[in-house]
Amino acid sequence: MKTIAVGSEAVVYENNGLIIKRRVKKGYRIREIDSNLRRKRSRAEFRTIKELYEKGISVPRPVKYAEKTEEIWMEKIEGERLAERFTEEDAKQIGIMIADLHNNGIIHGDLTTANIIKKGKKLYIIDFGLSYHSTKDEDMASDLFLFKNALKSKHNPLYNGAYPLFIRAYKSHIRKEFKGIDTHLKDIETRRRYNESY
Amino acid sequence: MYTLGIESTAHTFGVGITENDRVIANERDTLKPLSGGIIPREAAAHHFRLAAEILGKALNKGGLRLKDIDLFAFSQGPGIIPSLKVGASLSSFLSKKYGKKLIGVNHCVAHLEIARLYTGLRDPIMLYVSGGNTQIITYYNKNYIVFGETQDIGIGNLLDKTGRRMGIPFPAGPEIEKLAEKGKHYIEMPYSIKGMDVSFSGIETFVSKIIGRETKEDIAFSLQETVFSMLIEASERTMAYCLKNSLVITGGVAANKRLNEMGRKMCSERAAEFKEIPMEFAGDNGAMIAYTGYLMRDYNQKDLDIKPKFRTDTVEINYR
Repeated sequence: MKTIAVGSEAVVYENNGLIIKRRVKKGYRIREIDSNLRRKRSRAEFRTIKELYEKGISVPRPVKYAEKTEEIWMEKIEGERLAERFTEEDAKQIGIMIADLHNNGIIHGDLTTANIIKKGKKLYIIDFGLSYHSTKDEDMASDLFLFKNALKSKHNPLYNGAYPLFIRAYKSHIRKEFKGIDTHLKDIETRRRYNESY
Repeated sequence: MYTLGIESTAHTFGVGITENDRVIANERDTLKPLSGGIIPREAAAHHFRLAAEILGKALNKGGLRLKDIDLFAFSQGPGIIPSLKVGASLSSFLSKKYGKKLIGVNHCVAHLEIARLYTGLRDPIMLYVSGGNTQIITYYNKNYIVFGETQDIGIGNLLDKTGRRMGIPFPAGPEIEKLAEKGKHYIEMPYSIKGMDVSFSGIETFVSKIIGRETKEDIAFSLQETVFSMLIEASERTMAYCLKNSLVITGGVAANKRLNEMGRKMCSERAAEFKEIPMEFAGDNGAMIAYTGYLMRDYNQKDLDIKPKFRTDTVEINYR
């Protein structure tokens, strides 16, 4: 078993072509918060991957959830983190993927280019620890906002070209009135600005 | 080169002086309302009343007279309009009277620059926590970019609002910290993290409903543990995402020992560096404005109006 990645909350090991993801204890959190979060997120993540995989969405193939150790076992995708190799063309495919997630009632909750793997030309979404079920406009908007902000911050030079491609692709694939989602997206953006609420 | 900086974005009026990149004076006064929160006009009145006195104190400390100052700087935003106007008009008057250049400084950028100066960290992630601001900022592609932020109210605001409901005067942070040390029983509260963003409105509502039913100590303890865990987690996510390996916490809420302890622990677990900055430079202060003004001394700014909603990421950084 070899360690292949140490993320902000989990360590990822590799064993015979399988990926084992284990959320590590965070000493800064009290036990009550920490163990609860880790268990909840690991379970949610496995459930979501399973559900999405069965529906044919590009996520790693789930193998098993080890209840005792709270480990997620899944198939390894031989690709690389998109964060370091994102190009404008990827934006369209991501828009379609997110629309697919939302059409299936899943909100990712942590959309960045670090949570997308690129293998050849194909993209896979990973890291579903903050995901949940919802078909509400505002929750879908929250995902769009996170990705928009990820583009703006980490990929700023590409933002102006990539964002319209992303949102156009999303709009044409989402099986819902986009207007409602868009209203909430604008609302999050205004709320997030400096708050003068004394 | 002497730079005099004026800070007046919220309830603190401060004047700082730097000699090149060294702080030689940092004087201030903070309005503490007797009850409730800050009323913008009262903050501005406070600043007007004390401006001359604080300016005089800073000059005395530096052993300088106004005519010795080579450069004036003021905090342009973000902040409360009436407060911002005090610093803007005073610095503009001084710059015209003495024929010296005036620099408009972004308040959040100034917090980050003074944090870098006093910690020696070259490229940290900054968790900036105050009354109205809760942001996770770092340098990226020639800008200071806000990677994470509150999607609703600021952390200080949450503490003050909750404090008010429990009968704790403004600012409630220090008293909540004391109560929390005596809390024993953790009450599970909504833990809301969205990517690198956080949200506090759910927890605010939750806490408002349990006041009176649980002890103040347990509420304070559970509140602190929950919201600080969220902030440190969001900071850690930003560090991993941006591949950076140091953290500094600044802003008024950085005075909280538990928050710093959590930041230090998180960093040590991921072999990253954590440094505290002296409290004098964590809360709002004039020295950070003077120092950042000095860094920006070659800028040619056309727009020196106040910017109440000044976004950190719109400032072009060409001195580093």
